[in-house]
Amino acid sequence: MLAPVLQVAQFALLIAGAVALLEGWLHYHFTRHEKSWFVPVGVLGTMALVLAGAAAAAGGSVEPSRILSLGTGTAIAEVLVALFFRHVVRGRHSLPIMLLAPAALGLGLLIAYPLVFEVYLAFHDLKLTTIMAWSRTGDLPFVGLKHFRKVFTSSPLSEVSFWQLLLRTVWWTFVNVFFHVAGGFVMALLLNSVTRFKGLYRMLLIVPWAMPQVVAVLAMRGEFHSQYGFINIMLVESGLGPVQWLGQHPFLTCTIINVWLGIPFMAVVILGGLQSISRHYYDAASIDGASAFQQFRMITLPLIKPVLAPAVTLGTVWTFNNINVIYLVTGQAGGTEDADILVSALYKAAFAFYRYSYSAAFALIVFLLLFTFSMVWLKWSKGSESLYD
Amino acid sequence: MTERRSAAILKAHRRRQALKTALVHGALILACAVCVYPLLRILAVSLRPGDRIISTDLSLIPQGATWVSYARVFAETNFLFWLWNSLVITVATSLVGVALASTAAYAFSRFKFPGQKLGLSFLLGTQMLPAGMLILPLFLMIMRLKLMNTYLGMVIAYSVSSLPFSIWILKGYFDTIPRSLEEAALVDGTSIFGAFYRIVLPLSTPALAIAFLFNFTQAWNEYLVARVILTDSFKYTWTLGLFDLQGQYLTQWGMFAAASLLVTIPVMAVFLYSSKWLLTGMTLGGVKG
Repeated sequence: MLAPVLQVAQFALLIAGAVALLEGWLHYHFTRHEKSWFVPVGVLGTMALVLAGAAAAAGGSVEPSRILSLGTGTAIAEVLVALFFRHVVRGRHSLPIMLLAPAALGLGLLIAYPLVFEVYLAFHDLKLTTIMAWSRTGDLPFVGLKHFRKVFTSSPLSEVSFWQLLLRTVWWTFVNVFFHVAGGFVMALLLNSVTRFKGLYRMLLIVPWAMPQVVAVLAMRGEFHSQYGFINIMLVESGLGPVQWLGQHPFLTCTIINVWLGIPFMAVVILGGLQSISRHYYDAASIDGASAFQQFRMITLPLIKPVLAPAVTLGTVWTFNNINVIYLVTGQAGGTEDADILVSALYKAAFAFYRYSYSAAFALIVFLLLFTFSMVWLKWSKGSESLYD
Repeated sequence: MTERRSAAILKAHRRRQALKTALVHGALILACAVCVYPLLRILAVSLRPGDRIISTDLSLIPQGATWVSYARVFAETNFLFWLWNSLVITVATSLVGVALASTAAYAFSRFKFPGQKLGLSFLLGTQMLPAGMLILPLFLMIMRLKLMNTYLGMVIAYSVSSLPFSIWILKGYFDTIPRSLEEAALVDGTSIFGAFYRIVLPLSTPALAIAFLFNFTQAWNEYLVARVILTDSFKYTWTLGLFDLQGQYLTQWGMFAAASLLVTIPVMAVFLYSSKWLLTGMTLGGVKG
C-alpha cells in the first residue's frame, strides 16, 4: 500500500523540481539581466544544470568527450540566450512567460516532442526486429519515404487498403454526426415541449453519455451477441432468424452503438439552445400564420446555430477520432477488419501488428488529412473567431 | 347555439392537445427505455445465479436472484487492485493537470504577450491530432525510460492530455472575474502572485472543480493508453480488467456485469450531478461569441 503513494510522491517531486528549476532559470534571466556578472554566472549555472541533468539521466557515468561537447554546446547556446535576454527582452513579459512555463514544459515534452519523434520514426525503420537493438543503442536505419509509399500500396492491417479505410471513415463520420444531430434535435424538441417529468426524462436520456464509455460499449456489444443478446432474442421471437451482428455486420453494429452513445450529448446541447430562444418569436410567428415547420426553419434553426455549430465541429472531430467503440467491439488482432476506420487501423497497426515506423508514417498522413479538413471547415464556418475573445 | 358550438370546438381542441401530450410522453418514455435498457440488463445479468448466467431470459430481476457474482468479483479477480490503481493514477493526473492549467490560463486571460494567439491556436490544434497518434511515441518514450507497468509512466502519459481543454475552460472563467479586484489588492501591496493565489483562485473554485472533474473522468475512463503501458494484471486499471473479463468466456458474464455496475454507479452519480456545469464549460468558447 505504501509503494504507490511513494511513486506518486516521486512523480510530484519530479514535476515540482523541473518546474522550480525552469522558473528559477527564467527568473534569473528576467530580473538580473542588468548586472555586470549576468552573462558569466548564467553560463556557469546553466552548464552545471545541464551536466548534472545528463549525469542523472545516464545513471552517473558520462564519457569525458561527451561532457566536453555537451559543456561547450551549452555554453555557446547560453551566451546567445543571455545576450538575447539582456538586449532584446530586457525583462518585458516576464510575468506571463513565467506563468506559462510549467504548462509549456509539459506540453513541449509530452506533445510537441512526441510529434517530432513521430516524424523521426516515420523516416526510419522501427519494427519488432529492430526494437531490441534500438532500446540498447538508440540507433535506427534511415529509410526515407519508404513507409509513406507503403501506406498507399500495402494494407495497414492484413487486407483492407488505405483508400477503403478513408472512404469508410468519411462515411462513418457523416452517418454518425447526421444521426447524432437529427436524433438530438428530436429528443430536444420532445423534451422542450413537455413540462411534467422533464428533469426525470433528461436524467434518464443522458445515461448512455454518463456511463463510462468502456462499460457502455461492452454492455451494448453483449446485446448484439448472436444467441444471448437482446436484439437477436427479439428477432428470433418475432420469427426473423438470428443475425450474426458481430461476425457479419461489424460496421453496422459499431455505427448503431455509436449513434446510441452520441445522441444524448447533442440532445442536451440543443435543449440548452432551445431554452434560450424567447417564446415571443413563436407567438408572433403563429399570429402571422406560420406553420410549425416554418417556425422550425425560420426561427429555431437560425437561432440555434451559434450553439449547434461548435457542437457539430466537436462532434465531427470526436467521431473521426473514435477508436474506442470500434476497438472495443471488434477486439484486437485476429478480429474482423470490416469495421476499422483510419484511427483504429492506426492503433492496431502499431500495437497489434507491431509495425511502429509504418504506423508513424500512417499517423502523419491521417494528421495532414484531419488538419486540412479542420482548417477548411473553420475558415468556412468562421467558427474560430468567437473563440479568441 | 353558437355558444354550444364553440364549447364543442374547445373540447375537441383540448382532446387533440391531450392526445399530443400523451404521444410526446410516449415517445419520451420509449427513448428513455432505449437509453437505460442496457444498464438494466447489466443489473439483471449480475443478479443471475451461477447456473443461469447464460440464458435468453429477458426478465429484469431473474429467478433466484443472488449477489454471488458480486462476491466472486472480489474473491476471484483483482478487482480491488484495479480500482485502487485507477484511483491513484487518476487523482495524481488530475492534480497535476489542474495545477499546470491554472497558471497558464491566468497568463492567457490577464496578459498581452507576443505569441498569445499562436499559443491558443496551438492548444486548439492539439484537439485535432488524430487519436492514437501520440500513443506510439509516448509508449516508446516510456519504454526507454523503463516506466512500463508503473504509476509514474501512466501519470506521465495522461498528465497533459486534458491540459488544452482545462486551459480553455479556466481562461473562459478567469475572463469573467473583474480585474479591479486584483488591482485593489495590488494597490494594497500584494504581489501579482499573491493576487492570483488569494483572490483569483478562491473565486474560481467552480471552474477549478470542473477542470478537475474533466481531467478525472478522462483518465478514469481511459482504455487505449493503459492497454499499451500496463501488461501486469496487478497493475491494470479497471477498464483493462473489465475488458478482459468480458472478452474471455461467456461464463464470466456475471462477474463482468457485477464489476461494471460497481464502477458505473459512482461515476454516473458524479456525472449526473455535475453534467450541467460540465456542459457549460464545454460550450463556453462557442456560446460566448
